[in-house]
Amino acid sequence: MSLRETGRRLRLRRTGWIPPDARVRHYDELGEEAQILVRELAGRPRTAPETGDLDDGDFVKFTDYYQVRTR
Amino acid sequence: MSNSYVIVGDGIAGASAAETLREEAPDAEITVLTDEGESLYNRILIKEYAKGKLPEAPISIHQEEWYDDHDVDLRLNTVVVDIDVENDAIHTHEGETFEYDSLLLAIGGTPQQLPVENADADGIHHFWTFQDARRIKESVEDAEKAVIVGAGLLGIDFAAICGAQDVEAKYLMRGDNWWRYALSEEGAELMHEAMRKRGVEPVFDSGVDRFEVDDDGHVEAAVDPSGDRYECDFAGVAIGLNFNTELVENTPLEVEDGLVVDEYMRTNVDNVFAAGDITTFNDLVLGEQAKNGSWGSAKEQGTVAARNMLEYESEAFEWVSSYSITHFDFPFLSFGHPTLGDDSVEATTAEGEWRRVALKNGKVVGGVLIGDLSPQSAFKQLMREGRDVSGQTELLMEPGFSVDDLAATTQQ
Ligand SMILES: Cc1cc2nc3c(=O)[nH]c(=O)nc-3n(C[C@H](O)[C@H](O)[C@H](O)COP(=O)(O)OP(=O)(O)OC[C@H]3O[C@@H](n4cnc5c(N)ncnc54)[C@H](O)[C@@H]3O)c2cc1C
Repeated sequence: MSLRETGRRLRLRRTGWIPPDARVRHYDELGEEAQILVRELAGRPRTAPETGDLDDGDFVKFTDYYQVRTR
Repeated sequence: MSNSYVIVGDGIAGASAAETLREEAPDAEITVLTDEGESLYNRILIKEYAKGKLPEAPISIHQEEWYDDHDVDLRLNTVVVDIDVENDAIHTHEGETFEYDSLLLAIGGTPQQLPVENADADGIHHFWTFQDARRIKESVEDAEKAVIVGAGLLGIDFAAICGAQDVEAKYLMRGDNWWRYALSEEGAELMHEAMRKRGVEPVFDSGVDRFEVDDDGHVEAAVDPSGDRYECDFAGVAIGLNFNTELVENTPLEVEDGLVVDEYMRTNVDNVFAAGDITTFNDLVLGEQAKNGSWGSAKEQGTVAARNMLEYESEAFEWVSSYSITHFDFPFLSFGHPTLGDDSVEATTAEGEWRRVALKNGKVVGGVLIGDLSPQSAFKQLMREGRDVSGQTELLMEPGFSVDDLAATTQQ
């Protein structure tokens, strides 16, 4: 999926609690670009340009649960 | 052009076909039949539910309203028992007949039982559906000791569930390492160590000769072929799938470890297609027939099948599959067909990082990455491009490997 040109940046915040109304995605469901982003951002205090596969508030199951935050 | 589409199976392959058909043929009549009691859910997250890490709600993908909103006729708890390809009709166990212009079989597989005494006792679990996950969760929460059988990608889910639920488990494996067809002992040892840290002990050169049960018929032990007895009140068995081809036994549809389809997901009958785990497909990347068993591939096959049901030969399935394990504090990824090939290279690239690439006729056909998934995209690209890497395979083991490294070398 292609990068959105919103100028917004995304980070992943590790989290232990998943609310019942959450949208949760497993790493294997993501497109290649989003997978790269998850690999690079998970567990690191970094940001990257937003990608079409991941929305603000989404949760991702990788080696932990991470919540997507965009700004 | 056909306008009545029947889809059997509401897993990710069937559901993505329904979505694509609705998007691209707004007037089509679409019926989806499933023998499950619930509509599309996230099969690759049900292990997280069984681990106690996820509530039920986020696992649902299509609620029943989705089908109403998209004008798709969904039939739950409906078992298709017969296909009449001469008359373009299917029959259900409940006695209904559905006629189609074009049919998609997205019927997946069913976990195999061990062919041993008491294999169906209470407390012995197989893992495929959300209902299985609910039963597993309930049973494992009451358990103290477990036995796990099946040293592959689904067996390790049972190991992670036991670990997460503080159940002491013995993981009985044939041979001397986990997933020995894709990993050497060196790579597998990283997985063994992660299991041990969670209270799951791998037991090598083992297996199950029989289960023993108590007076109520509940499993109380597994006995391995050398007579060693492992007490358990929970057993998880994941030794493989039987593909649901029974349904087509009396039809002319070609079966070979699944339903045979071409790269357009069409069977040998013109208006019958198949998608997902059930298919044995013409793999354009590998250059021969293959099977995939992963979420991404099943989803893509569903989409591609739908497009070809609308217009045959409009899109071919050309895809490198991958499957990750995210239970531990390091990632694991298998891609392509890591158990195939005539050669392989492997290396420990850093502490806790290991990779293996399987090759056939000098081309990458699959592999396994542990700890560092960064070369995932590069290896998939090599597969898609069918690049011959003969004489340069050591480069694939370089920590920061990129396809450009190879191109530079090739040009020299
Ligand atoms: C516990 C578990 C964990 C997994 N983890 C991962 C992972 O991490 N990553 C990954 O990529 N893949 C994973 N997989 C594999 C992945 O889930 C499958 O490859 C994928 O879901 C297959 O989708 P499908 O639609 O082809 O088949 P299925 O999802 O099996 O759907 C087939 C459907 O057809 C129905 N059906 C069959 N016969 C009939 C009939 N006669 N009448 C009516 N309905 C019928 C079945 O009940 C089922 O609902 C996992 C699988 C399991 C079980």
